[in-house]
Amino acid sequence: MEIFSALSFVFATPSLIGAILLAAVVGMIVGATPGLTAAAAIAMLLPITYYMDPLFALAFLYVIGKSGRYGGSIAAILFNTPGTAASAATQLDGYPLARQGKAGKAMKTATISSVIGDFMGDIMLIVGVGAIAALALKLGPPETFAIYFAAFVVIGSVIGKSIVKGLVSALFGVLIATVGLDPISGEERFTFGTFDLTNGIGLVPLMIGIFVLGEVFDQLEKRQQKVESLETSEHDDDHDGLTWKEYKPCLPHAVRGGFIGAAIGILPGLGSAIAAFVSYGEGKRRATNPEQWGKGALEGIAAPESANNAVSGPSMAPLLTLGIPGSTIGAILLGVFLIHGIQVGPTLFITSKELIYQLFACGLLGIFAYGIIGYFGASHVAKLILRIPSNVLYPMIFLTSFIAAYSARGSMFDVLVMVCAGVVGWLMRKYDFNTAAFVISFVLAKGAEESFRQALLVSDSGILVFFERPIALAFLLLGVGAILFRVHSMRRERKRELAGGLEDA
Amino acid sequence: MRNITEGAVVALIGLGAVWGAYQVPPAQDGETWAGLVPMVVAVGLTLGGVLMVIGKLKEVAVSSVGTVAQSPSTVKTVIAVAVLAFVYQYAMVAFGYLLPTALIAPVMLYIFGIRSVVGLAVSMVLCPLVFHLLFFELLGVFPPYGSVFEPLDLIRS
Repeated sequence: MEIFSALSFVFATPSLIGAILLAAVVGMIVGATPGLTAAAAIAMLLPITYYMDPLFALAFLYVIGKSGRYGGSIAAILFNTPGTAASAATQLDGYPLARQGKAGKAMKTATISSVIGDFMGDIMLIVGVGAIAALALKLGPPETFAIYFAAFVVIGSVIGKSIVKGLVSALFGVLIATVGLDPISGEERFTFGTFDLTNGIGLVPLMIGIFVLGEVFDQLEKRQQKVESLETSEHDDDHDGLTWKEYKPCLPHAVRGGFIGAAIGILPGLGSAIAAFVSYGEGKRRATNPEQWGKGALEGIAAPESANNAVSGPSMAPLLTLGIPGSTIGAILLGVFLIHGIQVGPTLFITSKELIYQLFACGLLGIFAYGIIGYFGASHVAKLILRIPSNVLYPMIFLTSFIAAYSARGSMFDVLVMVCAGVVGWLMRKYDFNTAAFVISFVLAKGAEESFRQALLVSDSGILVFFERPIALAFLLLGVGAILFRVHSMRRERKRELAGGLEDA
Repeated sequence: MRNITEGAVVALIGLGAVWGAYQVPPAQDGETWAGLVPMVVAVGLTLGGVLMVIGKLKEVAVSSVGTVAQSPSTVKTVIAVAVLAFVYQYAMVAFGYLLPTALIAPVMLYIFGIRSVVGLAVSMVLCPLVFHLLFFELLGVFPPYGSVFEPLDLIRS
């Protein structure tokens, strides 16, 4: 019921509606620009939100994240370059459709499917999040640490090409988070006598460095690659208009994708890309025309786009109820909560229930906004992006990253941290380490350490406390199971590749 | 060979962190050691590095690392820009925001391929001006004060 009063509040606040509309446009442009990510845009805009009301700040960034996920499909369809990792699945059928002169149909299918998936994910979040929060209130430090442990392991091992590199990235994030004063005893750790380090490494400069400056370095390296673009035949109704008859076969794929995305979204770290590819694979397996998939099937766009966007809502559930961000965007939003003095976790639904439901209402309105703008204006967004010269864009992003990092706390040390993080981010990308695991682990580390040490303090049986409590044990086993599952699936994939190679030979 | 180097670097970072965690003073009675988590993480990093070195990585990786080979000149450009970023940060500490930004903006545009002299000259004025107005005037952020020379003093006087 809270959602209805929240919706009426949002509709009664025109400035908030304006912020949502602006966020929908910004997110779409950022998501559709190859090389720019919604996470980078949110990280850059984060310091500006210091000067905003908490709801405005959260809603603005949350809707940019949602719209950015959708915007990736525009670049995938028109430029044959996925704007986001998740839209690589959309590219498989989107670009062939664009080559057939059906870019308009492809983009409209992507828009409708994104809206369906996102809406399903948000409804599941709104319905289920209260129950998860109530359950989370009953958890003690051993269970909380076990959940953190499972999150670290899943984030580190499941995404990326290598389990070891993923786990190393996660450990590196935890290590950086321990720099500064120990939160319990106040002892200095890894400060090397430097006063600036006693406050620890700031979340905002770290994120701007990894996602923004690191991306500028990365683009500098890749800038020889030209973006391929196709002209859309906008005035040809036969090619651009989407009829109900055409979309009808896509609907089951969009709905299934919504469920797949929502289920994957609730697990920390898995993210949109995995959801999109699982949904694409499942859709193709069940399709009546699997031979068309990959050559330009509208269903091949509906399935991944719906799943990709359905991740957005449920990925907020672990963040809001346990303080565990499920994605990089979630990690940045956690920063916004902290900046505004809002403690994220199970008590959030007691202390700031109204704010949370208003945020959900803004999310629903954001879906509606990017749906309308995308349906009627995606081709215009694409044209705008083609007009943005990347050789001007990236130097401006470079300059913005410095001032944004400084603005967070007015500290030049933060700017230095941002530059170092930028170099680290570029090196991590270059050598296939996992930047998402690094940042999410950095954010999780403080809570994990506190619950770990609290559990040890209250326990008589030392480390065994984690094995004596059934819920804690279940989550520890989940973490171990995630690694084993990943090793097994990678071996199976490798065997298949080897077998394919032998057949080819 | 690259796996071994990467693994060795990770292991070295881990060993450095083990040493760093070891410097944390011991816990008092009834408390847990503040260096416990850093030590566990440092040992984990070292083990991860060792695992990479001994080639365990190859058994679980789907594909080999470094799929996109970059020319040494591109890498050199990135390193040069990274050095420039550090110089820019130190220049802001010494000379405030305006002057270093006026110098770095055309340099960055040039590196990214802008060759128009007029464009580069305009960026020298426009970039510091727009960023200054947006962040330091509109948002009210207190600008960094140059320890050696602050152009804002000159402008305001």
